[in-house]
Amino acid sequence: MDDLVVNYHSQRAAEARFGVQLRGFMAASLPWTALLGALLGVGLLVLGVSIGWVLVGLAGIPLMLHAYYRHHLITLPPSTNSLTDMIAGDVLGRLPRKPSPADIAKVVGEVPSGQFMAVRFGLTSGLLLSMASVDAGTAAAVWQQADNIREKCKLDQISGAVLAVAIVRSFPDYQAVLAQIHIDDEDLDRGILWQQQLMTLLEKYSKPRRTGGIARDWSFGYIPLLTRFGQNISEQISRGTGVLTVDVASHLEAVMQLVETFGSGGRQNVALIGKEGVGKTTIIHAFAARLLDADEILPDSLRFRQVFLLDAAALIAAAPGRGELEGLVTRVLGEAHRAKNIIICLDNAQLFFEEGVGSVDLANVLQPILDAGSLRIILSMDEQRFLQISQRNPGLVNVLNRVNVAPASETETKTVMQEQLILMEVQRHVTYMYQAIKEAYRLGERYVHDLEMPGRALKLLESAASYSESGLVTMNSVQQAIEKTLDVKVSVASSTEDREKLLNMEELIHQRMVNQTRAVSVVSDALRRARAGVRNENRPIGTFLFLGPTGVGKTELSKALADVYFGGEERIIRIDLNEFVRAEDVSRLIRDGAQDPTSLTAQVMKQPFSVVLLDEIEKAAPEVLATLLQLLDEGILRDEKNREVSFRDAIVIATSNAGADRIREYIERGMEVAKFEDAFIDELISSNQFRPEFLNRFDEIVVFRPFTKPELVQVCDLILASVNKTLAVQKVSVEVEPAAKQLLVEQGYDPRLGARPMRRVVQKAVENTVAKQMLSGSVASGDTITITEAQVAQVFGIEAGHMGGDSPVTPPPGV
Amino acid sequence: MFIVGLLSWWYGAGWARQARAVRDRLAGLYDYFSIDLLLKTLFSPFRQISAGSVRGSIDVQVRAWLDQLISRVIGMIVRSIVMVIGCVTLFFAAIVGIVSLCVWPLVPLTPVLGIVFALSGWVPWTI
Repeated sequence: MDDLVVNYHSQRAAEARFGVQLRGFMAASLPWTALLGALLGVGLLVLGVSIGWVLVGLAGIPLMLHAYYRHHLITLPPSTNSLTDMIAGDVLGRLPRKPSPADIAKVVGEVPSGQFMAVRFGLTSGLLLSMASVDAGTAAAVWQQADNIREKCKLDQISGAVLAVAIVRSFPDYQAVLAQIHIDDEDLDRGILWQQQLMTLLEKYSKPRRTGGIARDWSFGYIPLLTRFGQNISEQISRGTGVLTVDVASHLEAVMQLVETFGSGGRQNVALIGKEGVGKTTIIHAFAARLLDADEILPDSLRFRQVFLLDAAALIAAAPGRGELEGLVTRVLGEAHRAKNIIICLDNAQLFFEEGVGSVDLANVLQPILDAGSLRIILSMDEQRFLQISQRNPGLVNVLNRVNVAPASETETKTVMQEQLILMEVQRHVTYMYQAIKEAYRLGERYVHDLEMPGRALKLLESAASYSESGLVTMNSVQQAIEKTLDVKVSVASSTEDREKLLNMEELIHQRMVNQTRAVSVVSDALRRARAGVRNENRPIGTFLFLGPTGVGKTELSKALADVYFGGEERIIRIDLNEFVRAEDVSRLIRDGAQDPTSLTAQVMKQPFSVVLLDEIEKAAPEVLATLLQLLDEGILRDEKNREVSFRDAIVIATSNAGADRIREYIERGMEVAKFEDAFIDELISSNQFRPEFLNRFDEIVVFRPFTKPELVQVCDLILASVNKTLAVQKVSVEVEPAAKQLLVEQGYDPRLGARPMRRVVQKAVENTVAKQMLSGSVASGDTITITEAQVAQVFGIEAGHMGGDSPVTPPPGV
Repeated sequence: MFIVGLLSWWYGAGWARQARAVRDRLAGLYDYFSIDLLLKTLFSPFRQISAGSVRGSIDVQVRAWLDQLISRVIGMIVRSIVMVIGCVTLFFAAIVGIVSLCVWPLVPLTPVLGIVFALSGWVPWTI
């Protein structure tokens, strides 16, 4: 475009300005003014006053203005002759003589299409003004950008939405601004098309629809039974209360196949097969709407046919016995056949082909009808259920015309959401931002497994309405919906409390476990990566293999993690792999939750945000380990029903005692863990305890070293703290003298069992003593019980003072 | 310039739009009264009462044939009545539409005509 200047004095610009001035009250009062003038004029004429003619004549002026405004000025048809001819009327009418980018930004904020971008994308007038220059000389760049966008999006005019995007793109560092509001360049184009799409939709629904008229059904039969046991979709569409259908490629294809099948002479049935959520019911509604549209090109045998959805529950409720039910269904279908204009639809058709709660196997009645092919029937069914039914009844599959419905693509899903959310907005009194749509797709793909696209994203979008902020559904609302319903954390840590917790994760974990700093550090790092949004989202949050002797804190670290970060020790899913030593145990690992709620997949499905602890992994059968490979690699495990179970919000920790003696040997030789770690892992591989491909799947392999006696004193302190926590209810506390503590450590120290005997020792020497004192009544509320060395010595039958002193074991270097 | 714009729209795109509106209104009425459907199905049984083939003795078949005949006659009467009402409505709607199209070019002249009539002192009726 050569001419990049707005011609303020052009005919179109003048019309646009006039349109803007007329809008609102003045435009609304024009027809009333005309009517009033004409009536007054006629009244005067009736009274014999000839001046009435003037009023009648002048009434023509507001009448003309009204028609001119309504049918021309509001829509002001564009052309591609010049920039002025391309700018939308509502924008053009508000522009000053020589508009600067800032003037354009101001105008964009005043027109509906610009406000659309402000509400849906966060491109508010303030933001645009901060990006736009006040120098009128730079406006040409914005107009050029706007024209490029118009051409790219194949639009006939430059609307406020186009200008909003043009202003953004004319800003030098606009990508950074977009990143802040969580959108990208492509989303901006999508926004313009979305606005256009809604305008087209509005236009489509504002036109009167021709649906056959009053005598449409007169040559067809009465259908009292069908009306009672079915839902007339066509009638809903006629009344304008039907489901809002969206023209996406996959649905259009299925509708075309329905038209072809029912329009041809073959068997008059179609089985719509697709996973739940793909839009099978919507396709049926779209098909019914097409049959009712007098403007559609259709075979005469299909025009104005009515689609009835049979209600399985109502039928079953009305007929108590099988015989009665079969009789009733036969009568209903007979009525549909006699009426000659009915297409029966069995939504969730499995309800009619299998025995169960709310379902009855009516194959005996339905199959001959389907086989004869004279009554038009649509069956919609989940893929899996169709396979099950066809396995039981192969004859049924042979008589059905199958139409597969594939899940919608990302673009299709977003298109469906963009249209459907208009209805949701009306029903829920909220407004959805584009960022919410994007996030609903992303999180739906990841967390909603019981539905397919677009159903899964729509479901999430709907539930996000409950978490709107001042009526606006944002990306955050969608994240909250997922977090609250699935109890996972998907958002980047933003609250001060969350960030503090993450930054001080090591300290918090060390409040309940001693040392093992490397292990604590690697799991803390993994969590920080996850919550800062820099981790690979297609894997678990972290996968770790903890190696080391028993009682050194491997399990304790997992528990501490579950408690500190995941919100409680019950957040740990513990699988003892020494119970999975045979190849056939794989099936127990992935068993369906309905049969075995303790299987790994069932537990993770219920609680995806957790620590998965795979204890004693070295004892598992190789087949079990092979099954776990995909889990470690992709964060996905399929259960026996072939459902994907996501481990992508879990930390997977495998523990093993393998090579515990070798670790002790290395430590006793005075070597640091970091020095012998690699050699030790090589030894595990060469001794065939672990296969290299298995070990390679872990993010980190951490070797835990045995506790030293000074560390056991700290362990003792932690155990005593937990005893005091228990006693706090009774307002009593216990204190152990340092010498007594030392004696406890001496008694609890066992290089083979680590810290494990410590708890037993404390129980015997401290808890038992406290219990006796409390029962004897020598302790009152608010007292502190002090455990002396003599008391401990007495418990263990040794002489006080003999066992105390420094640790006989030299701590290894690096402790 | 504004007056030129208004008048050029009034006698150009505005008039054409009005013609389209009249056409759409007539098409809507035609659809509402289902005129073509009524014609196509003029002799069909009404609401499929007593329609379809009947097996049985000659006596039963004759009775069924008579029932069907009555159904068809009732259908024809009802359809004919609706068709007549529809055609009359369409006729009047067409007249109104044509008149509106004829009056359309005169609307810009009404202020002038009003003044002329007022000056002439002519009053069509007096009470």
